[in-house]
Amino acid sequence: MFYRLFIALFISVNCIAQQDSTQLIELMEVSYIPALKVNSNELKSKEIQEMAAEDAGELIRKFAGVSLKSYGGLGGLKTVSMRGLGANHSAIVSDGFSLTNNQTGQVNLGQIQAENITNFVSVLGTSSSFIQPISAQIGGSSFIIETFENSFSDKKLKIRSSLKYGSFNQKNGYLGVKYAPNKFQFSVFGTYRDSEGNYPYSFQNGYFGVNEVRKNNDYQDYNFGGTVGFKSKKITFRVGYKKTNINQGLPGAVIFYNQTQDERLTTNSDLIFGDVVHVRNKFKLRGYASASSNSMNYLDPTYFNTAGKIDMDYRNRSATGGFSVNYDFKNIWELFGGIEIAISDLKTNDSTFALPVRVHNFALLGTRIKFNKIKFEISTSSQYVHEKNNNGIRAKDRFRLNPFVSITGNPMDNKWIYEIWYRNSFRMPTFNELYYNNIGNNLLEPEDSHQFNVGLGYAPRIRKFLIKIKANAFYNRVENKIVAIPTKNLFVWSMQNVGKTDIYGAEGVLSVDWKFYSKWKLSSDGNYSFQKTVDVTDRNSPTYGDQIAYIPLHTANLDIAIYFQKTGIRISSNFVSERYALNENVEANKIDGFVTADISVFHQFKIKNVHSLQLQANVKNVLNNSYAYIRSYAMPGINYLISLSYAFN
Amino acid sequence: MRLISTLFIVFLVVSCKKDDPEISPVAETLDNGMIVLCEGLFQYNNASVSWVNFENGAISNDLFVSKTGRQLGDTGNDMKQYGGKIYIVVNVSSTIEVMDAITFKPIQQISMIANGTAKQPRSLAFSGGKVYVTCYDGYVDVIDTMSLTVTQRIQVGSNPEGLSVSNNKLYVANSGGLNFPVPDSTISVIDLNTHTEIKKITIGINPGGVITDSQGDVYAIIRGDYAGVPSRIVRIDTQNDVLAETFSFDATSVYSMNNQFLISFYNYSNETSSIGLFDPLTETLISPNYISTAGITTLYGMKYNSVKNTIFILDAMNYTNTGYVREYSTSGVELTNYNVGLNPTKIIFK
Repeated sequence: MFYRLFIALFISVNCIAQQDSTQLIELMEVSYIPALKVNSNELKSKEIQEMAAEDAGELIRKFAGVSLKSYGGLGGLKTVSMRGLGANHSAIVSDGFSLTNNQTGQVNLGQIQAENITNFVSVLGTSSSFIQPISAQIGGSSFIIETFENSFSDKKLKIRSSLKYGSFNQKNGYLGVKYAPNKFQFSVFGTYRDSEGNYPYSFQNGYFGVNEVRKNNDYQDYNFGGTVGFKSKKITFRVGYKKTNINQGLPGAVIFYNQTQDERLTTNSDLIFGDVVHVRNKFKLRGYASASSNSMNYLDPTYFNTAGKIDMDYRNRSATGGFSVNYDFKNIWELFGGIEIAISDLKTNDSTFALPVRVHNFALLGTRIKFNKIKFEISTSSQYVHEKNNNGIRAKDRFRLNPFVSITGNPMDNKWIYEIWYRNSFRMPTFNELYYNNIGNNLLEPEDSHQFNVGLGYAPRIRKFLIKIKANAFYNRVENKIVAIPTKNLFVWSMQNVGKTDIYGAEGVLSVDWKFYSKWKLSSDGNYSFQKTVDVTDRNSPTYGDQIAYIPLHTANLDIAIYFQKTGIRISSNFVSERYALNENVEANKIDGFVTADISVFHQFKIKNVHSLQLQANVKNVLNNSYAYIRSYAMPGINYLISLSYAFN
Repeated sequence: MRLISTLFIVFLVVSCKKDDPEISPVAETLDNGMIVLCEGLFQYNNASVSWVNFENGAISNDLFVSKTGRQLGDTGNDMKQYGGKIYIVVNVSSTIEVMDAITFKPIQQISMIANGTAKQPRSLAFSGGKVYVTCYDGYVDVIDTMSLTVTQRIQVGSNPEGLSVSNNKLYVANSGGLNFPVPDSTISVIDLNTHTEIKKITIGINPGGVITDSQGDVYAIIRGDYAGVPSRIVRIDTQNDVLAETFSFDATSVYSMNNQFLISFYNYSNETSSIGLFDPLTETLISPNYISTAGITTLYGMKYNSVKNTIFILDAMNYTNTGYVREYSTSGVELTNYNVGLNPTKIIFK
C-alpha cells in the first residue's frame, strides 16, 4: 500500500496534459490592466533565452511569492505554490487555455518546455482580463504562458530555431516557423530533447559528504504541432493541434545505501484547440474550446507481487468550452463575465480505482467603475461540480460562490499605483484524493482560500535609470485544507479536510535598467519574498504555529545582465532559505537553504537585419552548491550548456 | 559594477554557510536505559535510533549517527539483540546494520541488494548461530552470525512479514501484501536442520506478526482486508503443523509479557485502539481492555520490561510528527513518557 500511496501522491503527478495553446498577449494590452501591475511579474523572450531555462519550472522560481518544488532532472516533477497556497490553487494558462490535470490537480511545470515561450507572466489580484479563460480568472493565482507558434505575427515570415548541447549528454533541437500571408497565419513547430541525465550530486550523510551520480534519470521527448490563424481588425481566429511524447526514467529519491531505481514513465498527449476573439468598439468577446487526451504508463519492473511488476495505465481526457465578454460604458463603467464548462474523465487499468467523470461549470460576473483616479472592481464567481463514478460511489455535487473586490488607483501621478484586494477562491479535491483505492475519500469538500493584499508600485525614470519598485503585503488563509492522514495504519492513509493555514507575507520587487556610455546597458531584476506560512489547525498539535513543510520563510532572486553592443553576460541567482520536510519544525526535519547562480555569455550576429544568429554558453549552478528542494531529491552540481540559435524576422 | 560584485559576494558568502552537524555525546557503553528504533518515513532517509537513559531521563535521538557518523537510512523495520550483537533491519535502504550490543559501535553493514534488486528485508529471528530475515522478494535469508554474510536464501511465499522459531522449525507469515486486494493466507514452515520449506499452512488472509509462547505453540496474526474481513489471531499446533484455532476476538499485534501476551487491536470503523491481555497457556482472553488507550494517539508497538515490571507503549502520533514512548505500570497508569524520533517501532532494554 505504501508504494501505491507513493504512486498516487507523487508519480502520477507526472501524468499531466502538457496542453499548450493560444493566447493573445497583444490583446491583453488593450484590456484594463494598469500600466504598472503591482501583483504581476513578467519574463520576456530575451530573458528566457538568456537564462537557457529548460522548462517553465525553472522560469517560475524567478517570480516573487513563488515556492518551487522540484524533484530534479530534465522533465522531473516541478510544481509551484503561490503565496503559501497549494499548487492546486494556481492556474497555468498557455496561449489562452488552462492546463489542468484532474487526477493530481497539479501541472508538472517540468514538462512545459521553455524553448518556445515568448512571454511568461504571473498574475494575482486585478490583473486578469477577458482574454483569459474564465477558470483562470477566478482562481487563486495564474501563470500565463505565450508561445511563439500561437501568437500572431506582425511579419510575413518568422523563424525561431536552436540547437543545444549540454552536460549529461543532453541534446535539444527546436524549430518554429510562422508564415503570415495577408490576414492568415500558418505556424508549425517541433522540439526534440534527449538526455542521459546521470548527473553527479553531493549530499550529507551524517558527518560525511557523499558524492554520487543520479541513476535512471534518462529523458527523451518530442513535441510538434501547428496552428492556423486569421486576423482582421475586428476578429481573430485560431485553430491548432499539439502532440507531446515523453519517455523517461524515474530516478526517485536518493535512498541511502540503495541505488536500484528502475521505474519508467511514458506520456503521450494530444491537444486540439480553437478560439475566436471579437473586438468592436466597446464590446469584446472571446469564445474558446479545446479537447485533450493524456495517456501515461507507469512501469515498475521489479515489484514483489505475483506479476513481478506494476504496469499502470492512466488516461485523462478533457473537453472545455467557454466564452468571456467585456462591455465598456463610456470608459467609466464596465461589465464583464463569462461561462466555461469543462468535462473530464479518468480511466486506468487498475480495477480498484474509480472511473470518475467530472463536469465543472465556471461562471463569472463582475463590474469595474472608474471614479476619478480610483477604480473599483467587484465580481462574483460561481462553480458547480457534478461527478459520476462508473466504478463505485461518486462524490456529491459541489457548489460555491466566491467574491472578489479590489480598489486600484494612482495616489499621485501615473508613476505611482496602489492596489488593495480580497479574493476568495477554492480548489476541488482531485480524483486521486477522492477515489484512489483505500486512501481516497469521496466525502471531501473543496479546499478554501482567502487572500488579502495591499500593494504599492512606483516606476520613475531618473536620468538614464528606468526604475520599477513594487511592494506587497498580504494575509492569506487556507481552510478545509486537504491533508493525507494515516488513519488506520501507516499503510492505509486517508484524505481529510482538516488543515488550516495562516500566511503572513510581504514581497518587494526592484528592477533597474540603466544605459551608460553609449553602447552599454545594464538590466537588473531583484525580488524578495517573506512568507510566514503556519499551521493553525489544532492548538494541541505539536505542529501548531510551525512553518508548513516546504514553504521557505525567505526567497530572493537577483538577475543582472550587462550588454555591450551585441555581446552580453547574465548572472541569474536564486536564494531559498531553509525549509522543513514535514510540518513539525524540529532539527531532524530541516533542509538547508541554498543559493544557486547561473551565468550565461552570449553574442549575437546580425546579417541584413533579418537574420540573427546567437551563440551562447551557460554555466548553471556555477558555485557547484549541493542543494535540494525536496528532501532526498538531490539537485545537480555545476553543469554546462552551449547553444546556437537562429532567428529570421 | 561595484554594487554587482558586492551583491554577488554576499550571495557567495550566504551560500557557503553550512551548519555543522550537532554532535551529542552518548556514553561509551549503554547501560540502564533503552534503545529505540524509529522507523522514519518512506523516502525521507530518516530512520533513527534513540537512546533513553533511565537514570536521568536524558534522550539522545541520534544514537546511530553519533556512534557511526552516518545515517541509518530509510525505513527501519526491526531491531533485535542476539548474543553480543544488535541487528537492525532497514527496509527501503535494504541493509542490515550489525552493532555491538554493549557499546553500540558499528560492526558491519550487510547490504541486502542482490543482482541490482533490493531484497527489502523486513523482520528478524534467530536460532543456532544464524539470523533469519524475511525479505519482501519472497525469501528468508540466512545470515551467519560469525561471518555476517548471507549464506543461504530459502524460498517462502510472497512478501513474508513476521517469523518465529519453535520446535526447531521456523514459521514465516506470507502476507502477499503487494498483491492487495488479493493477499496471501499461508504460513511457511521451514525445517531448521535442512533449511527447506516443508509445509505451507493456510491460516487466513494477510498474515502478519508471528510469536511463540512458552510452551512452543506459535500464534500468528491474520490482518484481514482492513475492511470487511476482521483482523484476528490464530494458534498453530507445532507438533502437527496445522491450524489449531482461530480466536474470535480482534487482534492486530501481539507482544509477550512474561508468559502472557499483550494484544493490541485497532478498530477501523471508529478509529480507536485497545490493549488486551491473553493467556496462551489457558488460551483465553483474560481482559479485552487491560490498559486504557485514552492517552495514546497511535498505538504502534509495545514492549514489556521485566526488570521494572512496566509496559512501554510506542505512540506514533500522526506518523508525521515525532513519536513518544510511554511507560505504563501494569495497572495501566502512564508513569512517564519520552519524545523520540519518527514512528518508534522497536525497543531493546539495557
